[in-house]
Amino acid sequence: MRNFCKIGLFVILLSLVQSFTSSAQTTKYKCMIQMTNYMGEGAYIVVSIVDAKGGYDKTLFVLGADKKWYKSLKEWHKAYAKKPSNISAITGASAAGGDRSVVELDIENSKLNSNYKLRFESAVEDKPYYVKDLEIPLTTAGLSAKSEGTGYIRYVRFSAN
Amino acid sequence: MTISIWRYSHLILAVSSFLFLTLASITGVILAFEPIVDTANTHQVADFKSITLSQTLPQLRKKYPDISELSVDTHQSVIIKGSNIDGNNKAVYVNPLDGKVLGIPSPKNEFFQWTTDLHRSLFIHETGRFLIGLTAFLLLLISISGTILIIQRQRGVKRFFTKIVKENFAQYYHVVLGRLSLIPILVIALTGTYLSLVRFELIKSEKVSLQVDFDAIKSSPAQKPEDFAIFKNTKLSEVESIEFPFSEDVEDYYTFKLKDRELAVNQITGEILAEKQYPTAQLLTNLSLDLHTGRTGFLWAIILAIASCNILFFIYSGFAITFKRKAKGIKNKYSAEESKFIILVGSENGSTLQFASSVHEQLIQSGEKSFLAEMNQYRVFPKAEHLLVMTATYGLGDAPTNAQKFASLLTKYPQTNPIHFSVLGFGSHAYPDFCQFAFEVNQLLHQQNWAKPLVGIHTVADKSPADFGLWAEAWSQQTNLAISLKIESPKVEEMSTLKVLHHTKDAFSEDTFMLRLVPQEKVKVTSGDLLAIYPAKDHRERLYSIGLIDKEIQLSVKLHLNGLGSNYLYNLNVEETISAKIVRNKAFHFPKKASFVMMICNGTGIAPFLGMISQNKKQIPSQLYCGFRNNTSLEIYQASLKAFQENQQLQQLHIALSREGTKQYVGDLVKRDAEQFAEVLQNKGVIMICGSLAMQKDVVEVLDTICQEKMGKSISYFQSHGQILMDCY
Repeated sequence: MRNFCKIGLFVILLSLVQSFTSSAQTTKYKCMIQMTNYMGEGAYIVVSIVDAKGGYDKTLFVLGADKKWYKSLKEWHKAYAKKPSNISAITGASAAGGDRSVVELDIENSKLNSNYKLRFESAVEDKPYYVKDLEIPLTTAGLSAKSEGTGYIRYVRFSAN
Repeated sequence: MTISIWRYSHLILAVSSFLFLTLASITGVILAFEPIVDTANTHQVADFKSITLSQTLPQLRKKYPDISELSVDTHQSVIIKGSNIDGNNKAVYVNPLDGKVLGIPSPKNEFFQWTTDLHRSLFIHETGRFLIGLTAFLLLLISISGTILIIQRQRGVKRFFTKIVKENFAQYYHVVLGRLSLIPILVIALTGTYLSLVRFELIKSEKVSLQVDFDAIKSSPAQKPEDFAIFKNTKLSEVESIEFPFSEDVEDYYTFKLKDRELAVNQITGEILAEKQYPTAQLLTNLSLDLHTGRTGFLWAIILAIASCNILFFIYSGFAITFKRKAKGIKNKYSAEESKFIILVGSENGSTLQFASSVHEQLIQSGEKSFLAEMNQYRVFPKAEHLLVMTATYGLGDAPTNAQKFASLLTKYPQTNPIHFSVLGFGSHAYPDFCQFAFEVNQLLHQQNWAKPLVGIHTVADKSPADFGLWAEAWSQQTNLAISLKIESPKVEEMSTLKVLHHTKDAFSEDTFMLRLVPQEKVKVTSGDLLAIYPAKDHRERLYSIGLIDKEIQLSVKLHLNGLGSNYLYNLNVEETISAKIVRNKAFHFPKKASFVMMICNGTGIAPFLGMISQNKKQIPSQLYCGFRNNTSLEIYQASLKAFQENQQLQQLHIALSREGTKQYVGDLVKRDAEQFAEVLQNKGVIMICGSLAMQKDVVEVLDTICQEKMGKSISYFQSHGQILMDCY
């Protein structure tokens, strides 16, 4: 019984170490978000990794610090509410019309080129909400191109750090 | 109460917006402290104004390859942003010259953020924004209507900052502070309105977008960033923000957001790729933000805070004034048709109405049918016997709003029965046209066939109870109805003891006698003041005009068969003492300074003049016009008049005898000397009238004709300027 406990503890520790090492294998990307010249309040934008079925996998960055507006990013908020995570380190200011924001995205290498997508979701007070203001395949090619948005985002560009 | 259109709009606007205005003001006061608190957290460097971009941009980019943006805040502190600027900090204050980190920007204070949201949108988003925008617009209208009200009150733009008459706390400070904080409040309202209009895109304030032609971007000739002309020629102080090129690629460029324009700059050649001026709307938006928030200056922020506090005070005092006015509403028990006493009020802000209501209530209490109304409600009063007009004056001798139609109504509705009237004017000597409208009304009534004067016009300066008491006594005496201003029988301390020195009843001729009294203690008295006696030692008071001769009070009394006062005085003996009250009557004092004084009287009305002439030590040129029945009734005064002329205290004496010789009235003499009277008035001289009301009516008519013909002005003009003084009964 005692041995069994020890083995169990060891297995748990091992798995923890593994998950730690796997999460450490990430690459930082600089991401520039250029907004259109829309009129109105600053846009709340969330950058997330979604899987092939469109399920939210990981939140990479949130532009906009006031939590009361998070529910306006409907789809993301639904998923986030179910499984909240600490996003304080990846939160920045909202981006108004004409602004350019540069943020840093921390992407696990394992997710690159493996059927994930990068989703930019945007909402502005009293204006339409865009689930897929911009969605690009999370591939080496996708991260090197300039991609046009469909809502408040004019375009997005990346550069590896 | 009828109130003017401006006052009405001022009130309606205030009522419709006060809730949101209160909220916006309170939050506004709090927010004004944000820039004040912010100034504590600044990182300005010396000589900031002289730093050019060539001194700072290349340096910073070298030191922080990761830099993505530089911005200069309203306190001229430089903030740079980037993913890995300083450890975990994504934004820091730096010294623009050497890139040294000076501090870390604190996140926007949550409390101020919360207050800002409340201030801008009441937490109900677009609806709230609309309401607040509307409130700002209403505040603008309130300021404008308020300004117009001040101009009206002060009688002209030029007198905008002259003295304000203090009626009560709320009213006085509403106006005083209104004048002082007018400009900041107008600015707050105007900028707030503008920002809302921009917010709702009613004013298009589109953002500039630079069109960069990527095909034309060249990578040569390459220059050192330090040598870029645009870097050298642009000062850091002109910058709002600069976006650094995203990568080293030639297609990534600098974007400069300067105070007045935006430009794109090639990061290799320093060439300007595109440039655009901000449209006026955007510059105005920035200016509005600066002015509305006070973000640029500590001092302006404080002014804004004070102005917001004032708005709160205006809401309080405005309501205090309104409720006070409402409380003074008119309530009538009897209709206009059945009432014997009609009281008409001309009042701009309701203070005159207080006096009128008091009279009205007292009449009703003594069982009389009295009707109280605004002057604009004048019509035919079939059962009326007494008409009382109590009116203030507004603007430059104009009618108060609720009396403006009186003159036309008066000609439209002649009364069917003869009515006794009395006019009481309310005003303040702080204004040049003292009670002018009341004098005009008095004049108009005199011209009506049905109107019989009961007591001469009286004026009440600055709500003086004493002034009101004078009129009330005179009027009560005529109507035998006790009217007072809630001041019952005189207080003992106001009474003086006087001893009878001379009495002419032994030399009694005709029905007039004179007596001299000397006060037993020191009292303030002069000719023109009145002596109030209480013959039956009850509330019944009788007033006599005082002539002060050699510090003795001289009365001239006509004996009436059943006269209460005259019989009492007639029966006094020398050495006897009486108890009486000396009533100051400043409205009928001999002028201290005047180019000329004309005195007109009849009968015992000569009494105050005898005193005045004997006191005329400065020998101000003066003439006396007096009317008597015959030589016998004049006899009693002959000796003194002769002495005055010899001493140069009186220049000329004109006498009209109505029952002897040419049978003239004193009015005829005035008509005869029309030229001279006109000259006196033109040269700021003073005309004083004392005697019977019939004589007064006669003389005033003659004088009015003179004024109209020779000077093109109504007599009321001179009355309100204190050039015609009257004390008649």
